[in-house]
Amino acid sequence: MSVSPISDYQALKALLASKSESFWQELAKRTAQSRQFYDFSFLSTLRRKAIARDFLPSSGNVRKSKLALLGGCTLFPLSELISHALYMQDNHCEIWSGDYDNYVWEMTDESSDLRSFRPDFVFLLPPASRYKYSGKLSDSKESVLDELTKNCASILELCRRAHEGTGAEVILCNFILPSYFDPGEIRTRVMASEWNSLKWLNMEIGLTAPPYVHICDLEFLAARKGGLEARDDKAWFESKQPFSADFAVDVAREVAHIIRSVRNPAKKVLIVDLDETLWGGIIGDDGLNGIELGDTSARGECFKEFQRVIKELSDRGVILSVCSKNDMHNAVAPFEKHPEMVLRKDDFASFQANWDPKPDNILQIASELNLGMDSFVLIDDNPAEIDIVSQFAPAVTGLWLGTDPSDYIRCLRDSRLFETRSITQEDANRASQYKQDENRKGLLLNAESMEAYLESLKMQAHINDFQSVDVPRVAQLINKSNQFNLTTKRRSEAEVASLVDSDYVCYSLRLQDRFGDLGLVSIIIAKKEKTDLIIDTWLMSCRVLKRQVEHLCMNELFSRARSLNCNTVKGFYIPSAKNQMVKDFFPTMGFTQVKTSDEFTEYETRTGEFKEFDTKISVLRGPNDKG
Amino acid sequence: MTKADVVSKLQDVFDNVFVEDVKVTEELSANDVTEWDSLSHITLIVAVEKAFKVRFGMGEVEAANNVGGLADLILKKLQA
Repeated sequence: MSVSPISDYQALKALLASKSESFWQELAKRTAQSRQFYDFSFLSTLRRKAIARDFLPSSGNVRKSKLALLGGCTLFPLSELISHALYMQDNHCEIWSGDYDNYVWEMTDESSDLRSFRPDFVFLLPPASRYKYSGKLSDSKESVLDELTKNCASILELCRRAHEGTGAEVILCNFILPSYFDPGEIRTRVMASEWNSLKWLNMEIGLTAPPYVHICDLEFLAARKGGLEARDDKAWFESKQPFSADFAVDVAREVAHIIRSVRNPAKKVLIVDLDETLWGGIIGDDGLNGIELGDTSARGECFKEFQRVIKELSDRGVILSVCSKNDMHNAVAPFEKHPEMVLRKDDFASFQANWDPKPDNILQIASELNLGMDSFVLIDDNPAEIDIVSQFAPAVTGLWLGTDPSDYIRCLRDSRLFETRSITQEDANRASQYKQDENRKGLLLNAESMEAYLESLKMQAHINDFQSVDVPRVAQLINKSNQFNLTTKRRSEAEVASLVDSDYVCYSLRLQDRFGDLGLVSIIIAKKEKTDLIIDTWLMSCRVLKRQVEHLCMNELFSRARSLNCNTVKGFYIPSAKNQMVKDFFPTMGFTQVKTSDEFTEYETRTGEFKEFDTKISVLRGPNDKG
Repeated sequence: MTKADVVSKLQDVFDNVFVEDVKVTEELSANDVTEWDSLSHITLIVAVEKAFKVRFGMGEVEAANNVGGLADLILKKLQA
């Protein structure tokens, strides 16, 4: 994929020219996504241009650190890339690069410039040519291991000297494996091959390095990218570049990641959504037998495998919690009764299933676990939930899983949020120091900010009388919705079709917001009888709960009641096994209870007494609207 | 693509690589730009290769003395 490097930077340049604060946000976002050398270095140039104009980010927590780069190769432009990656994670790093291939002296001599630089981190990129096995392919395994053991020890000795001389943490690169075919499959059969000997050396380095040495795992990074993509022979011979230009970006990002992770503990708590996250479908609507989970379908298999990945995190010490918009008894049913569930209820330290906003529930989890919200990660299939959490509980890291369950595993496993740094987990207990007060500080949710949040969603609704084209979707909702459904009256497609252009008042509402189209989300059917307008069906998708959709529908209903000269609107709540959440719908909408029995409760409001609700949804009328 | 087109596109590449403002002409050479040293030259050449979707051979770029020479080289690569 080739993006023109010319037009692609115009927007950023304009933000820079006007010194807009969003320049830095946009630059950070672009940098986080950037994987190509030319893109990454252009972003770095823009950053340096801003700094040259005294236009600095207004970020609160800037760290300053010192990084020394050493190795048997040219360390520019790697140094520039690392500097940019660190700056964009608020680490304004001073970088010192050693002379070409002079690292042994620099790391061991007490009068070296490395000592006087006093680095916080020393990055070492040793040349493979010096440490790979020097003998012949036919040499014995013993002689290979003998030499490599010494080579490993000599690399680690350099690290020790640098660490003790400067106090710095050491970031040590291991070796990229060769990617040419030569010498053929014999490479796997003798220890003396470059392939096997470097693999063994990498393993030995990893297994014997002390805790102050952090491995920059080039073997892994190159395998991830592709061995041929990681090197560039011309760049090596022309200017002693150790990597291809694009791979240098991967290495720079890795170095920045290591530096950050040394100072910031990994996340401790994984909060999971349920519907469309742990299983396919909506448990409250589809029921235990209707959700997709397990090996009978491809989607079901994705969800099951995703649960296994989460279970593995839990085995590694990550604390799991549930935060789901559901009735509790629906939410727990799969954990207790579904045979394909990998996760069980006692895998979770906290279990929140209700209809309150997720930030409230996350606060509840924080107080139950007595952990700081900055150690929390929320995964959800709904981008609006991620957004509301990032607005009202900004300390929590939100991870949107995307729309395809086959991407979920990669999304979570590539998030780099739960990387284990040591088997002993020394800092596991530090968590209890977090205070609840700090949690509250992070939570900004109140009625006023909720309004602002809804406004920021830029919601638009289309209210339409039933159209023939909508009949299948309307019938599907009427027959599937269980939870936000006042009367649970089912109708066949033919019955729905007969409502089109009938004397029933029947309309649907489609909602879209800045995240996209939510589709047809609410249906109202009512019938005029004398001077009453009687609500026959009122249902809504739970995806749009607390979005003021019901308020908008109510405004619409009363406007229609007035134009039909009805002086009263009547509604019924008919309880079912699944619709407790709307038990108090009519009272909260200002209706008065008229009578009640086991089968139903009846409510009414005089048309003249109805006060229109304010909403943050703008209304667009459909083309064939009659109301 | 004419030589003038190449030079004009090079202007964008230079803007993306150097912090200081550089007016790109055929006569411009490394001596005229403070930042254009042997290190930033590496970044510049990779950027040029990406922008024009060409790949220079060993030593080819060194033979070009100024932007005009570089533009000729790019044109030769584009026609090859």
